[in-house]
This record gives sequence, C-alpha cells and structure tokens, in this order.
Amino acid sequence: MRDKSSVSSNISGIFATILLGFPIYWMVTTSFKSREDVLSTEPKFLPSTLTIQNYRDAFAREGFETSLRNSLVVVSLTVLVSLFLATFASIAIARMKFRGKRTFITSLLIVQMLPLSALIIPLFLLLTKLQLTNKLPGLALTYVAFILPFTIWTLRGFLAGIPNDLEEAALVDGCNRIQAYQHVLLPLMAPGLVATAIFAFIQAWNEFLLAYIIMQSQDNLTLPVWLAGFTTRTGTDWGPLMAASTITALPVVIFFALIQKRIATGVTAGAVKG
Amino acid sequence: MSLKTSTPKINRRFWPYLLIAPASFVILLILGFPVYRLFTLSLQQFGLDEIISGIPVWVGLDNFTILIRDPEFWVVLRRTLIFTFGMVFFSVVIGAFLAHLMVRMHPIIRWLLNTTLILVWAIPALVGVSIWKWMFSYEFSIITTTLNRLGFDFAQRNWFTNPISGFTIIGAIVVWGAVPFIAISIYAALTQVPKDLIEAAAIDGANSHQIFRSIIFPILLPIYVILISLSIIWDFQVFTQIWVVLDSRPPSEYYTMAIYAFEKSFGLSEYGMGAAIALLMIVALLGVTWFYIRKMIEIGETRER
Repeated sequence: MRDKSSVSSNISGIFATILLGFPIYWMVTTSFKSREDVLSTEPKFLPSTLTIQNYRDAFAREGFETSLRNSLVVVSLTVLVSLFLATFASIAIARMKFRGKRTFITSLLIVQMLPLSALIIPLFLLLTKLQLTNKLPGLALTYVAFILPFTIWTLRGFLAGIPNDLEEAALVDGCNRIQAYQHVLLPLMAPGLVATAIFAFIQAWNEFLLAYIIMQSQDNLTLPVWLAGFTTRTGTDWGPLMAASTITALPVVIFFALIQKRIATGVTAGAVKG
Repeated sequence: MSLKTSTPKINRRFWPYLLIAPASFVILLILGFPVYRLFTLSLQQFGLDEIISGIPVWVGLDNFTILIRDPEFWVVLRRTLIFTFGMVFFSVVIGAFLAHLMVRMHPIIRWLLNTTLILVWAIPALVGVSIWKWMFSYEFSIITTTLNRLGFDFAQRNWFTNPISGFTIIGAIVVWGAVPFIAISIYAALTQVPKDLIEAAAIDGANSHQIFRSIIFPILLPIYVILISLSIIWDFQVFTQIWVVLDSRPPSEYYTMAIYAFEKSFGLSEYGMGAAIALLMIVALLGVTWFYIRKMIEIGETRER
C-alpha cells in the first residue's frame, strides 16, 4: 500500500482547510477593517480598505493595557516558579530511588485529571481564607499547582533520555552531585526546559475560569477576563474586539508553533489539562 | 575515606524528598486540600454567613438528597450528558476523518491543512469564543448577512434564544477547538504504522480490510481510547464557552453540570450545594478518569523498563 494522493481526499483537504481556518481569517480581517466594512449589512469577505484604527481603539480602551501588564506579570511568575519546582522534582523521580516514588507519580496523574470546574468552589474559599484573592501572585500560585504535574512529567521524560553515565563520569572526575547536575544535567535539559516554559506560558496566558473567579477588581483583570467583559460593558464594538483578540492570540500562536510536536505527544503520553 | 562516603549516603536518602517537597507542598495546598474540602463542604450548609463566621453547619447528606429530589438536577444532568456525547462524537469523528484523509493528501495540501490545524489549536479558548460570537452576532455578522443574501430571512436573529441552536453553536466552538489535537494525534499514530509490515501482509495476500483490522486497528486502538477518554473529561466540564457566549448570564435552559454548580455557589452563595454537584461530577467522571490513569501508568512503567 503506497501513500498516493487521491483527488477526493485533496478536495476534502482544501474544503476542511477553508472551513477550519475561516474563523481565524475572519478575526484577522475584521481587525483591519474600517468601521463601515464591519457594520455592513452585505457580507464583506474582503476588506475594501485596510486600517489599524481598531488596534488604536483597543489600546485606548480602558483596562486593556492594565490587563496586558497583569497577564505578563502572572505568566512570568508562573513560568519561573513552575520551572524551578518541576526541575527539582523531575530530577528526583528520574534519577533517584526512594520510597513513595510510585505514589508520588500516581498522585501527579490523578491530580492532573481533576476537573477544574469542580475544584473551583473549595479553591475559591481557600484562597479567600489565605487572602490571596485579587492578588497576582495568588493567581500565579494556583497556576503553578495546575501546571506542575505536566511539567514534572515532561521533564522526567527528557531526563530519562539523558544517559546516566554522563553524571557518573562527572562524579568520577571529582564533581559532587550538585555540581554534576548543574554542569552536566542542566545544560542537557535545556530544550526540555524551554518546551515546558512555553507550555506553562500558554496555559497561564489562556486561562479564564480561575482568573475570572479570583480577580474581581477592575485593576486586576488578566487579558482573557478583560476580553470576556468586552461586549457586556460596551455593546458590540467588533473591530476593536477582534484587534484585541488578535493581539491576545499572537504570542500563543508563535510559541505554540515552536512546541506543537512536543505537546501533541505530551498530551497523549503524559496528560495535559485542556 | 569512610567519613567521605558516609555523608553522601545520608544525603542520598533525604535528597529526593527535599527535591519533591516544594512541588508537593504547592500541589497539596492548591489541589489536594480543595479535594478534601470539597468532600466536607458537600456535607455542610455553607453560605455567606458561614464564610463570615467561619463556623460551618453540618447537614449530613442533605445536599445530596435535596439534589436527587430536585427535577432540575436530572434535567441538567441529562442535558450535560447529551451535550457531552454530541461534542465528543463530532470531534473524534471529524478528527479521525481528517487524519485518515491526510495520509492520502498531496504533501502541499497536507501541509496547508496541518498548518491550519495548528493555528486553530493555538487559538486561546476565549479568543475563539469572541470570534464565533462575532460570526453569529445578530447584527452585521457574516453568518446572518450571508444567509440574508442567499434569500433566507434571518435578519436580527438572535441564535441563542433557542437553546437548541444555541447549544449547536457552542458545541461547534468546542468541536472546532478540539478537532486539531485529535486529528494531529491520530495522524501521528497513523504515520507510525510500520510500512514493511503492511507490505509484507499485502504480499501474503491480505486485502486492505484485513490489513486494517489486524495491523492498523490494533496500533490505533490505544490512541483512540486515550483521545476519547480525554475528550469526555474535557467536554463534560465545558464552562468557558457557554458562560462567555451568553455574556456571563446563561439562562437556566443553558445550565450544564459545571454551570449549575457555579451558579449555586457563586450566584446563590450555596457553596455546600455547589460542592455536592461538583462532587457528583467528579464521581461521574471517575470511571473514565480511572481508565485513563491506568493507561498512563502502564505507559510510564513500560518506559521505565
């Protein structure tokens, strides 16, 4: 059986590409359309003029820059802290034998499967009690917890692919264990660290439900929460909304393209929260 | 010399625990404790008064008996199951269909479709919702204006007044976002089917149906099982799409389990009741989840060997 292309699958392929891609095409073109084109009663599949006015409007809109900044703060905190903690934990489970290791790994997988929409109620009460609601570090901390299982699991996979002999050689050469990890293991882990950092970035950047519950004051919104409130507060101002959506999607699309292969295998072989 | 070897030995015993301690602490605090609290909360009457006083009122299984006697609960459960089934069915069928087609596409068209799939996959859920909201908005939207152009009279039509058309659109948003992952995963599995095995079977006189049944299907089965389990887990708890499409005020015809639990807790401040619903959700998903986790542990163990 040879992989020969058939006419019917090619036609279906083009059809599927157009159908699946249309919403994205529509977002991007709307974001560059003039007000007249957006508010036209005739379908305008191609913009008659191109303008960046919608982007100006989006930036000028109340709360956009604040929530962009908030998102960046939360995402940076999440990425840094989760990488630190995951690196330690993954070295332990990939390189060391200890009692309770199996339990630890199993609980990581179970925790990973907990439905967020079910946990949100006790989580909200807990964060209220700890006075972590409405605080960017509080939100980042919850993201770290939700992202850790996947990051630990992924880094562990990376470590499993690095031969043990390398550190042993370093140990023989007179390094102590920490030096061996620092100079031998860590550089080899770099691609894994980059991949997990990007994954953490995407998750924290996209998350809506937790941010929606935990961040209630207007100065503390993240981008997705700000986007969700866009229409309810101001009626329908689709041009700027599509511009803001494009800005929100852009970093994720770029980063995602870089690590898509790893996520694809990671989800099926290591569980990701959707 | 003996001193030198004995110190690392002590260290070696404590190192792993030291290394997993920070991660374990965060996970236990933010995920572990809430699970325990979900159990206790479901046995309490817990509202605004209790948040302020900090003293819960224990009510035993009252929350559950009230729920089970409430006809609305059963309506919501049924609605959630149907909605979940629909979304899982369409995302897996469309995803599988595309993946099997991709094998036979011209490389350029395959690249086009693959790139589109990755783009769609990368779109944040909330951005996706915003786009679809705009496409189906009752004024000036592409769907409405195009349908009008084609001679239908859908001017000023609010697609969400009718829950059936509303759920169809919400389901379409979810399926649109879910298809890329499924299609790409199945396609990846398909390309891993060893070609020489298929050629050998063909030489031995197997027809394409036999080849599919005895070579391709067994290789694809585990990936299908994982994808379907994950889809059920994800789709059963869909919240964001419903909530945001309906401007954070979903009418009761749109309540699914996740929305129902949310409204009870954060809308009516009946946190105990909300926790009971959430707990029932977890129980409902437990079977699927358990299956998935066992599969994962198996994979983990075969890798270890």
